[in-house]
Amino acid sequence: MRRQPRGLVNTFVGYSILIFFALVFLYPFVIQLANSLKTEPDAAANPLSPVPGPVSFASFERIFEGTDFPLWLGNSLLVTLVLTAGRVFFDSLAGYALARLRFAGRRAIFAGVVAVIAVPGVVLLIPKFLVLNQLGIYDSYTALILPIIVDAAGVFIMKQFFESVPASMEEAARIDGAGVFRTYWSVVLPMARPALITLTILSFQGSWNEFPHTLVAVQNPDLFTLPRGLADLVSGSLGTGTQYPLKLGAALLATIPVAVIFVIFQRYFVRGATEGAEKG
Amino acid sequence: MRTRSESLAGWLFVAPVVLILGVFLLLPILMALWVSLTGWNGQGSPFRSGVPFVGADNYTSLFTEDGLPRQDFMTSIRNNVYYVLLVVPAQTALALGLALVVNQRMLKRKGFFRTAFYFPSVTSSVAISVVFLFVFANSGAVNALLGAVGIDGPVWFDDSRGLIHVLLGTVGVDNPPGALANHSVLGLTWWDWVSGPSVAMCAIIVLVVWTTSGTFMLMFLAALQAIPQQVEEASLIDGANRWQRLRFVTIPMIRPTMFLVLTLGLISTWQVFDQIYVMSQGNPAKTTLTPAFLSYRTAFKDFEYGRGAAISFVLFLIIVVMTLVQRWMLRERRS
Amino acid sequence: MPHRTVLAAFAAGALLASAACGSGFDDDSADTPQRSGPVSLQILIGSSGQAETTAVQEAAAKWASSSGNTATVTPAQDLTQQLGQAFAGDSPPDVFYVDAVRLADYASVGALEPYGDKISNPDDFYESLRTAFTYDGKLYCAPKDFSTLALVVNTDLWSKAGLTEADVPTTWDQLTSVSQKIKSSGTVPLALGDTRDRIGAFMVQAGGWITSADGKTATADSPENLQALQYVQGLLKNKYAQYPKALDAGWAGEAFGKGKAAMTIEGNWIKGALRADFPNVKYTVHPLPAGPKGQGTLSFTTCWGVAAKSKNKDAAVNFVEAMTTAEQQMTFAKAFGVMPSRQSAGAQFTQQYPDDKAFIDGAGYAQGPVNAPKMDSVLADFDTGLQGLANGDPKALLGRVQKNTESALGR
Repeated sequence: MRRQPRGLVNTFVGYSILIFFALVFLYPFVIQLANSLKTEPDAAANPLSPVPGPVSFASFERIFEGTDFPLWLGNSLLVTLVLTAGRVFFDSLAGYALARLRFAGRRAIFAGVVAVIAVPGVVLLIPKFLVLNQLGIYDSYTALILPIIVDAAGVFIMKQFFESVPASMEEAARIDGAGVFRTYWSVVLPMARPALITLTILSFQGSWNEFPHTLVAVQNPDLFTLPRGLADLVSGSLGTGTQYPLKLGAALLATIPVAVIFVIFQRYFVRGATEGAEKG
Repeated sequence: MRTRSESLAGWLFVAPVVLILGVFLLLPILMALWVSLTGWNGQGSPFRSGVPFVGADNYTSLFTEDGLPRQDFMTSIRNNVYYVLLVVPAQTALALGLALVVNQRMLKRKGFFRTAFYFPSVTSSVAISVVFLFVFANSGAVNALLGAVGIDGPVWFDDSRGLIHVLLGTVGVDNPPGALANHSVLGLTWWDWVSGPSVAMCAIIVLVVWTTSGTFMLMFLAALQAIPQQVEEASLIDGANRWQRLRFVTIPMIRPTMFLVLTLGLISTWQVFDQIYVMSQGNPAKTTLTPAFLSYRTAFKDFEYGRGAAISFVLFLIIVVMTLVQRWMLRERRS
Repeated sequence: MPHRTVLAAFAAGALLASAACGSGFDDDSADTPQRSGPVSLQILIGSSGQAETTAVQEAAAKWASSSGNTATVTPAQDLTQQLGQAFAGDSPPDVFYVDAVRLADYASVGALEPYGDKISNPDDFYESLRTAFTYDGKLYCAPKDFSTLALVVNTDLWSKAGLTEADVPTTWDQLTSVSQKIKSSGTVPLALGDTRDRIGAFMVQAGGWITSADGKTATADSPENLQALQYVQGLLKNKYAQYPKALDAGWAGEAFGKGKAAMTIEGNWIKGALRADFPNVKYTVHPLPAGPKGQGTLSFTTCWGVAAKSKNKDAAVNFVEAMTTAEQQMTFAKAFGVMPSRQSAGAQFTQQYPDDKAFIDGAGYAQGPVNAPKMDSVLADFDTGLQGLANGDPKALLGRVQKNTESALGR
């Protein structure tokens, strides 16, 4: 009881800090939303105001009619869906094999996977361009998808997961005579639901936001995904002007899908972050 | 019987991963290694005869030859060093601070705050860069805030003045002392080396600290929650004050996480690319040029693919060395 | 044992990869086989805006329907980068814009088809433009159009500062004194692009330039250039001139259009941009103020490059032919404000656009871009120095440009 007054002060200070930082972390998004609904002079004059002077949907009209936004959106959806499905399937397959199946070379492959996680992505830009070129698939959907359809970190997460669950169920299934793939598909995967959801979400987020890879994989504007289109919209060619409401609106639309998924599946994101932490 | 089919299944299961990583990761690295030893100018395939083999020239041009390539490369290294020196401590301190506050037992609605702090981390780096371009625009939010307290904010993305130069300017050192301006190391004068990050780079630093702190906060939070309650209570009984508890109890308990956060921070700060591409393209006056962006620009804009690849490999080496040094230092201190 | 298996797997992967390379390993020294029959032409342009894109697309469609081919016009967001990746990918577009600055780079590595002798009446192009696209004695491509810089004045802000038509500066001293008046009326006097493509005009007015006339000697470190940069530095320090970013604009024309500056130094493309984005701005165009060595401006030009690796070279040259007729050039001039590269269209242009006299007259005393390979990174570095000119040391900057130019030209 003697700590009561100090406790109150502590609580107050604690909340003040939290609320201050919550504002710092969220207000830019408020600014983004508000300014995308402003007219350009209004945005320039009152950048901080969370309320648009007159609400104007002009920027969104221009996003859909004056830019290739619908095309980028379509490409992003296609690429993200294929990438997510591919990553979840291939990563869990490999993760399972590395965790459970005994075969020659298993250790070496796992060591390879861990090493790959440590390879920094940006130093691969020129190498990736070279190989895509040499294979003759540069500037195609294949180039956007195939090189990043497996993800070493995902393999790692799945391996860790499979090692953490008991093997008794699969053994029972195998004794019943089911083949390895049958066992995997109908016994193991259903058990792995939480890990699969985490992997799905991480893959979705990663593919949706992927930017540098698209820079060296394609140059045809018909193949641009949202981040690539957005980046080019911003670096804009002569005469297109600053157009902040338009750019902010486009960036906002590109953020929404991940934001929605984040709010719904929060705890899986958190698990992803902390599980990623264990890999170090 | 069992083992042979298991072995076959094992290989089948890992085959897609091995194949893709082999073809799109290992093979390209070898190809780039070759290209970094040639003077390939981007016409046709780099693997036909007739592409000039230049040995280590692309590498020496970055270190020993006086010229534009070395000057650009060293400028990018300088910029990135300042960037790392500011971002890594700032994001680590902010993440740890937030985690400590969120972890306070008497506070409610932690979930909301945790979400708020983490949210920027999951959004697209390109989209966020667009937002911060607006926030830091000349007539943007930051300058409006500064204006409200009577400060005339800088033109963030057009301001190439280094922070240390600005500070020296306030004490009257506007022009470089001759000793610093007339002597150069690796293509840059001492005065250029000690410039500090430019004002433009500071805006990018703020953005990056803001986006990454959330993830690291989650890592710290997980570590803090794993500290047994008895440990904390024991230190309370010992009469340790808040600072002593943090310094002698909490931080040693979360040392592995601390190491992880610092390492991940070091690795990712040397890779900064997306934000530079979207926000500044290395401008103003090359003060936001980083090795990653320089490598990209050298290859795809100047058609010096060999030198671009060479920069990539040097950067790769820097990152590997950073990780090893860090690992070694933490081991030293532990023993 | 396990290690060997892994190695084998990687080797197999590598083998597979190289087997799939096919075309990649082809030697490209032989002439590219040509397709016959109706072809589909890919055209990549570095557009100045929607107006230009639309105009070129319409012209291409017209050519396609009259010649029985198809033509796809793609505006590049970053032409240099996209072309670079396309050349390396062995799949370049058939026709593309080539900036005069880049000509030597592309020509020296054999990426361009030198078709200059196949185009009709090449002598009709202005001589300075032909020079800009000649490398090793060969005319590589047909000039598309050209532009020069002039002084653009916002008439409303001009009179607000109490100035009249007679006050339009014709010398550096006058530029300084009107700037002072405009600044005291509360307006930014001059929006000035922060690159050598604008500031370089002052160097020409002072009698200097980056290279000698034949492009073989570096002349950056000269008293004339120093005088020019010191003058511009003075403008910047006094806030008589400001760079676009300081005015929250992507380029000087945008700052001018928004009414943030009373004057700007831009090319004739500003007309189209102002008409499209800021139709209410009233402005007049004047020759740039003369420096110590008289009048000076810069000219810019782009040509229609044809890829050496194109499979449709005949159709491509035929396309360029159609794009560079005097009639078509006038259509482009109307659509996005460029000036025809053919002298035969010049008279018609002057007649139709008397307001553009300052731009056309500039052709008489304009300095063209540097025409030498490997200069791009040197010039980009110069731009970097100019971005920091307000607080920089012009003498050291020119010394750096001199040193870098010498080593680039020496190769």
